[in-house]
Amino acid sequence: MKHAYNEVNLHNLAVIKESKRWCSQGLIEDTQLKNIEQEYRCEFYHPNIIIRILLFVATLFALSGVTGFFALLFGNGGEKVLPLACLIYGVVSFAILDRILISRHRHYKSGVAEALLYHACAFSIIGLSWMADFNTYVVLTSCLIVFAYTAFRYLDLLTTIAAIGSFAGLLFYTCYEAGSIFQQVIPFVFIFCFGAVYVITRKLKAQTNLQVWFLNMMIVEVTSLLLVYAAGNYLVVRELSINLMNLQLEDGQDIPFAFLFYSLTIIIPVACLYIGIKRKDILALRVSLVAIAFSVFTFKYYYGFGHPEITLTVAGALLFGIALLLFNYLKTMRGGFTRENHLAEKWANLNLQAFVISQTLGGNQPGAGSQIETGGGGKFGGGGSTDSF
Amino acid sequence: MTKNTPRELFEKGFIREDQFSKIDVITSGKVVSVFYELQTLLYLGVLLFTTGVGILIYMNIGSLGHLISIFALILLSIGCFYYAFKKGVPYSNDSVKPVTPYFDYVVLLGALVFVSVAGYLQFQFGILNENLELVTLITSVFFFYIAYRFDHLGVLSLAITALASFWSVSISPQKWYSGTFFETANLHQVAIIFGLSVAAIALVLEMKRIKMHFTFTYLNFCSLLFFAGAITGLFIGAWWFVYLLLIYGGCVFAYLMAMKRKSFLFLLYAFICAYIGTTYLLEKTILRDAIEIWFLYSIFSCGGFIYFIIKFKNYFKQK
Repeated sequence: MKHAYNEVNLHNLAVIKESKRWCSQGLIEDTQLKNIEQEYRCEFYHPNIIIRILLFVATLFALSGVTGFFALLFGNGGEKVLPLACLIYGVVSFAILDRILISRHRHYKSGVAEALLYHACAFSIIGLSWMADFNTYVVLTSCLIVFAYTAFRYLDLLTTIAAIGSFAGLLFYTCYEAGSIFQQVIPFVFIFCFGAVYVITRKLKAQTNLQVWFLNMMIVEVTSLLLVYAAGNYLVVRELSINLMNLQLEDGQDIPFAFLFYSLTIIIPVACLYIGIKRKDILALRVSLVAIAFSVFTFKYYYGFGHPEITLTVAGALLFGIALLLFNYLKTMRGGFTRENHLAEKWANLNLQAFVISQTLGGNQPGAGSQIETGGGGKFGGGGSTDSF
Repeated sequence: MTKNTPRELFEKGFIREDQFSKIDVITSGKVVSVFYELQTLLYLGVLLFTTGVGILIYMNIGSLGHLISIFALILLSIGCFYYAFKKGVPYSNDSVKPVTPYFDYVVLLGALVFVSVAGYLQFQFGILNENLELVTLITSVFFFYIAYRFDHLGVLSLAITALASFWSVSISPQKWYSGTFFETANLHQVAIIFGLSVAAIALVLEMKRIKMHFTFTYLNFCSLLFFAGAITGLFIGAWWFVYLLLIYGGCVFAYLMAMKRKSFLFLLYAFICAYIGTTYLLEKTILRDAIEIWFLYSIFSCGGFIYFIIKFKNYFKQK
């Protein structure tokens, strides 16, 4: 089994995309880009992001109409028929996607293709789970199988995350159901498993014949690193123990292995940072930044000294200062790191940045309700920052 | 795939050797750029700092530490602008490349701190006690000045939002879903007029070739406001037919803008708003009740739309 797309077209599309980035950065000239586009012809229908969104939404609407019709036809089928009908509907959708949209009309992540893909996923999973009366194991397993299949075959990134998520859910649920000692070791199981996933993915990523799945593997890498961190984080472990495992904590008591989790909360981000700098691994570096921020939040959460406004001000001043220092430090390249912007990221659009700024930083204008807006702005700012990681 | 692309293109003779050596160090990961990471840190720094300061200056009013901190903030703001005026290039009608990667954020920090302190001072000494809206207007004018002087898109969008909030209209998608987009009645009319007039000014400025790269930001905010206002009007009043015509007019305008600028965002606005408007029209006139008809409608309208886009795909291609 392999992915659903034409290998040559896929390669050519990647070359063209890459060349466009170089061209926009002035690394190659316009005429060269034209020549490359002439040579590497790509037959895919792969529109730009806005058209993709538009097509995605429109397809979802149209599909909801189709689904509505089927619901009217089979609505009275009862418990026996409906699960099977859902499953068949899902599988047929997959078939249409695969045979007609991708093979014949050469859609590649066109918006229409994604909408049909998620639609097919949803109905397959609902069908499978319904047959087993939504038994948690079956739900999680069918999620894992369907998502992993679509991630693999259609190179889809969202279902890649969903597949990892369902794997984590399955792992958690299995340990949780096994009871007593297994519940205690869930964090270590997670650290071990996703550590292994991380190491294996890194190995696979280096192989040339798997480069088609490069972005998928990148996402697996980042998610597994984040999961390893979350499993060792004191706040996550403590709150999950209290909420899910009915751990009762009296005053002065602490969770088992508290010291271990405190140290992991510090060690993992630092280790990530070290790996990121040592290996020049930008992904590990970005994960470490998120992890450090969350670790600071963890300690602040349990040992907060009140005064959130002072924390905010000091943290902001520190971040700004550190960034300025690093910018100056990297004026000349050091250890392979540079402050210059080589290749523009897709999302790093100046207009988008301006929009984020206007939505998050406007709260400080004097006038009524400025404080409330500031709070909302903070939340949105979090969203903006995760975008970039 | 990416790693071998430069070599492949070089061997086939599409890129020259000097270009190859430049590109190869980047794609092979020998040189890593941390530009975006540091920019994100700067952004978060400004966000947290100004939020913290915004709360801080209204606390402990009157104490000595408070006065010192206000004074420190004034110094900080002056420092930022001193840096900006000293290092920055003189005003130009065209787009200006920032002299350092952090230049934009220093300007942003200076502007935000200045506005916070100015707002506090007016609050403390009650200079403009009578009309608080005037403070927003002054803020907006100040932001416009900074935006044009230092060629700063971020501050420009802050200026537009401030100007809108002077007319008590808030440009914020966050308020969309909480249902308080237009807090009082008839504000949607203000929004429409505001959107139209600012868009007109932006287009005039563009024709005079003043900061042409700002036009997109102007038009984006204006179309958001205009369409939000018009759709609100469509749903609430007896005048829905007038608003429908307004929406169609706006859609034609947005479509022309999209084609002229090769910016598909306006196309997105145009299509979605036209669809909402048309659906509302059909609901009001011919389509009623029967659910099957709505299913058919969604299939054929969206299906036809998808067919149209794909059929004319070359038309919708980015340059």
